[in-house]
Amino acid sequence: MRNHGLGLFFGAIFLLAMIGQAIVGHADFNHLQVAHHGDPVGFWRYVTSSDFGADVLENWQSEYLQFTLYILTTVWLVQRGSPESKPLDSAGRESDEDQKVGAFADERSPRWARAGGLRTRIYSNSLVTVMGLIWLASWGVQAVAGRVAYNANQLDHQQAALTFVQYVGSSDFWNRTLQNWQSEFLAVGSMAVLSIYLRQRGSPESKPVGVPHDATGIEG
Amino acid sequence: MPARLAHVAALGLALALCAGCGGGARTDVRSVSERFLLALGEHDGAAACATLSEQARTQLEDDEGKPCADAVTGLGVQASSVGRVQVYMINAKADLADGDSLFLSDGQDGWRLDAVGCKPQGGKPADEPYDCALEA
Repeated sequence: MRNHGLGLFFGAIFLLAMIGQAIVGHADFNHLQVAHHGDPVGFWRYVTSSDFGADVLENWQSEYLQFTLYILTTVWLVQRGSPESKPLDSAGRESDEDQKVGAFADERSPRWARAGGLRTRIYSNSLVTVMGLIWLASWGVQAVAGRVAYNANQLDHQQAALTFVQYVGSSDFWNRTLQNWQSEFLAVGSMAVLSIYLRQRGSPESKPVGVPHDATGIEG
Repeated sequence: MPARLAHVAALGLALALCAGCGGGARTDVRSVSERFLLALGEHDGAAACATLSEQARTQLEDDEGKPCADAVTGLGVQASSVGRVQVYMINAKADLADGDSLFLSDGQDGWRLDAVGCKPQGGKPADEPYDCALEA
């Protein structure tokens, strides 16, 4: 268990936060129902509703976009002094020798890193591929669920429903999307820059406390 | 980590699929709408009122100053047939053959009518509320 503490800890607090969101989201939904002279809905009906789904997925998609972009941009973009950056002269996809693929793989390298050809190319981009697909899938589900929740509100006010195409061009969809994107981009950008000058002793996300500000690509 | 990601993706997919649920609800909405229209056609005010939400009944009685069963047949809503039905979560709209629409919501008594005799106003219908003979 000690060897998997990071995954277990974040898995546990994810579940707790999700349960918390379901409980307070249900209470908030019913509060609005009563305010509009509607009847409250049950907990299970709420957590399987598009209202809850859109609220969950709009956050998931932005987190996966953040990591997808971070994985991709740190291949080519560097930041002097940041532990989040590679050394300044390592920008790019690097050599096969640096990446231990094909002829440079050793006996402990993953099988697809040793295989060469298409399999190695696929495996060499597997992290960003999977993260990117999860981002697109969760963004798509946000659009589907968000449209249903939006249209429910439209009908509640005797207004016409939007088609899917109309909805993905609507202010509601882009407001849900961009309010999450901007916070992710701010957090990642500030982490890359603040970690040039600030330290957290013992964290691999920080440089060692005594390392100079201009040292790049060194993790603690 | 891959297993957790798979669970996340599966839950997302389930939520997406559930967003499209509502076949049973569409049948219920159509049935309630048809009961209302049939009652109007037969001048059965009590039966028509039974398909209205409590809030709509109260609104009608306040507006007209008489019992719902007497007031509902004077709304000017024609007994037309139900065409397209749209259901989104606990709200629904039934479009009628004569161009009017009915708006419904799902509560503790099942699907009930909140607004009847509704016509789209000029401009984009998604921006402006329909103009209704009765709305709660």
